[in-house]
Amino acid sequence: MKLEVLPLKLEERTTVVKEALDAGDRLGLITSIDGGQLLTLLLSPQMHTVTCFQTPIEDPVYHSITSLVPQAHWFERTTMDMFGLLPQGHPRLKRTHLHEPYAFEGAPLCNDVRDVDAHAYQFFDVEGEGIYEIPVGPIHAGIIEPGHFRFSCYGEIILNLEIRLGYIHRGVEKRLTEVPCHQARFVAEAAASDMPVANALAHVTAMESLLDFVLPGSCQFLRTAALEIERIAMHLSDLGGLAGDIGFLAISSSMARLRGLALRMGELLTGNRLMRGYICIGGVSMHSSSESRRELIKVAEQLKQQLEPVIDLYLANQVAIDRMEGIGKISCSLAREFGLVGVAARSSGISYDCRRYWSHALFPGEDFEISVEQTGDVFARAKVRIREIKSSLQLLMKLLQEPHAGPDWVPLPEELPRNSSAVGIVESHRGELIHLIITDHQGKIQRYCIKDPSVNNWTALAIAVRNNLVADFPLCNKSFSLSYSGHDL
Amino acid sequence: MVNIQNALLWGYLLVSIVIVPGIITGLIRKVKARLQNRIGAPVWQPLLDLIKLFRKEETLSETASWLFRFSSALNLSIAVYLAITSPWISPRPDTGACDLFLFLYLFAAMRLFTMLGAMDTGSPFGPFAASREATLSFMVEPAAILSLASLALVARSSDLTVVFSNYTSQHWALWVLSGSAFLLASLVELSRMPIDDPTTHLELTMVHEAMILEASGKNLALVEFANALKLSILFGISAQCFLHAIPGLMVNASPTIHGIAGLTGLSLVAGSVGIFESLSVKLNWRAAPEFIAYSLAVALIATLAALGADFV
Repeated sequence: MKLEVLPLKLEERTTVVKEALDAGDRLGLITSIDGGQLLTLLLSPQMHTVTCFQTPIEDPVYHSITSLVPQAHWFERTTMDMFGLLPQGHPRLKRTHLHEPYAFEGAPLCNDVRDVDAHAYQFFDVEGEGIYEIPVGPIHAGIIEPGHFRFSCYGEIILNLEIRLGYIHRGVEKRLTEVPCHQARFVAEAAASDMPVANALAHVTAMESLLDFVLPGSCQFLRTAALEIERIAMHLSDLGGLAGDIGFLAISSSMARLRGLALRMGELLTGNRLMRGYICIGGVSMHSSSESRRELIKVAEQLKQQLEPVIDLYLANQVAIDRMEGIGKISCSLAREFGLVGVAARSSGISYDCRRYWSHALFPGEDFEISVEQTGDVFARAKVRIREIKSSLQLLMKLLQEPHAGPDWVPLPEELPRNSSAVGIVESHRGELIHLIITDHQGKIQRYCIKDPSVNNWTALAIAVRNNLVADFPLCNKSFSLSYSGHDL
Repeated sequence: MVNIQNALLWGYLLVSIVIVPGIITGLIRKVKARLQNRIGAPVWQPLLDLIKLFRKEETLSETASWLFRFSSALNLSIAVYLAITSPWISPRPDTGACDLFLFLYLFAAMRLFTMLGAMDTGSPFGPFAASREATLSFMVEPAAILSLASLALVARSSDLTVVFSNYTSQHWALWVLSGSAFLLASLVELSRMPIDDPTTHLELTMVHEAMILEASGKNLALVEFANALKLSILFGISAQCFLHAIPGLMVNASPTIHGIAGLTGLSLVAGSVGIFESLSVKLNWRAAPEFIAYSLAVALIATLAALGADFV
């Protein structure tokens, strides 16, 4: 979606954002281009419009809006790290990306050398008799990404959890402004490697809108299929992980097998089980023969058949349900306040699915049912995933039965327009993923900003585990299924 | 003649102590793997792992004192002592008395030293798991004692050797009840499903595994071996209970039949535990007392049955 950047005065910023959010808008992201301004992206799902406000800032200090708009808190912290812009009045101002070993020679994405205060990170201190602190990570027992969890417990009960990320900041956003724009997709895909399709799709959606180009349905149809296959595969993997965390090994290994089928579908469509390098500007990079499409339908039917008994077995186990029910609750008001996205939002009663509102691939043209649960616990998140697998499978089968004829790829101009900006919003399996591109007066990408759905949801995890058992933390964590690299970039 | 037979029995016992724990652990893993459609490692893999661990270099926490390594060595000694004296495998040489209270409280001593070792290293997970272990152990203690005490009541001796050898009973139901209660209690004692998942990698949910996180190399080998031996002894006692419930099997039979029955019984118990662990779901920590209550209830019924049998 092409964007028009509107100017907004610093004094009016708080009121404008607050009023828009009260009217039902979402805060897309807050960032800056080079440290001299603040960008505020407001999404209005009902109107299908995205507004981007630019607030010039001369003094690197501005008024924080977090106390009025809690969902801004993480964005403001990240903007401080990356651009040295100090949000005054932020209730819990801590670094998200810059760790102690970082040589403090100014903020990494800021043009002028800006003095950033190199104070040590302070964890929230819970005091009292019998309070016990457990540090977990950043190196975890499973072979996963790094992140530090600091639990303050009273006996077996978690009183507070503080999450510290930023261990794998690789400079993805900066790199994306440097590589030639037709190869940038490979970097974009690697932003979070378990959602390459979603990231590539958000990237090309933004790029193609920058170029003012509308692709033929045949290309979009293939992209939609890839996106849904990724959703199915990742939801299966997350459900299997949930089963594994409660020691339900039979289900966990069945889910791993079913995920293999989903990956097989990816291979048949894209020639690559994880579907990397498939989506490119102007279409898709590989032609799939009608033979492999027929095979793809067969595998999809197989998956549908084999999924049912596994799900039935899972949901028939009362102990498994007892483990998930009422654990890690997030209320609807809290989910709204913190701007949760994806499965976490939908299981707390917020019916927000980007596929319904923002144009990417064939959406929002395709019809599907948004899965919503009200209870907001681990079980609700599992149920939403189960229903989404089913609806995605249905959508995929419908698409494959009536394939769009046409080219897989169309050539697009190499030159990007000057002084323009565009945004790509995609519903990844984790939720709302935003890629924002801004070009300068030479037509070069000046700022590439990625908002991973995990950025919204990490806080929800920290809140959800409060007053739960320490032993239930892995279960809560898995039910949110958040990305470390997507946040750290 | 008697001497040769005794020597053979001693040989059998010592070979069992070395080999059986590894095989039994491997068997449980194999059953679980097969039920998950995996081929799984060969059943003797734990033995190879032990050899591997013995060859590995050891990393020791800087804050650990002598207690840390001492506790592993002591635990293994206790486990070997109990393996020699307790009637977990048949046939056995004459090794003297094995009092059931001594038997159970030596296991408690093992647990105490595991807990001390866990708290010694300064890892945040060790003490946390130790507190869980302590909670579980005092909850499961009555069930473990009552299940064996019910048998002792009928045999009129607290010596387990007497209970299991001289005792020729028609009370098969009592043997089954005691065996089941003891098996359920053992699952808690050994931190297995549904109380703790021994295959998990999540330190925050572990009970036993989190206590031995800091052990490595030779020290870990000692810990693993002691634990496998403890598992074999506890499952072996349950298996012996079930075998005694089969009329005539354990009485007046030849040592060969005893040997085959003992090993088969132990393997069957281990196999069933493997099946149970694949199908069950780990309980919420708050629901652990409920599971222990099952074990206690069966043990109480066994005790009442034993009292009844005593009066008849």
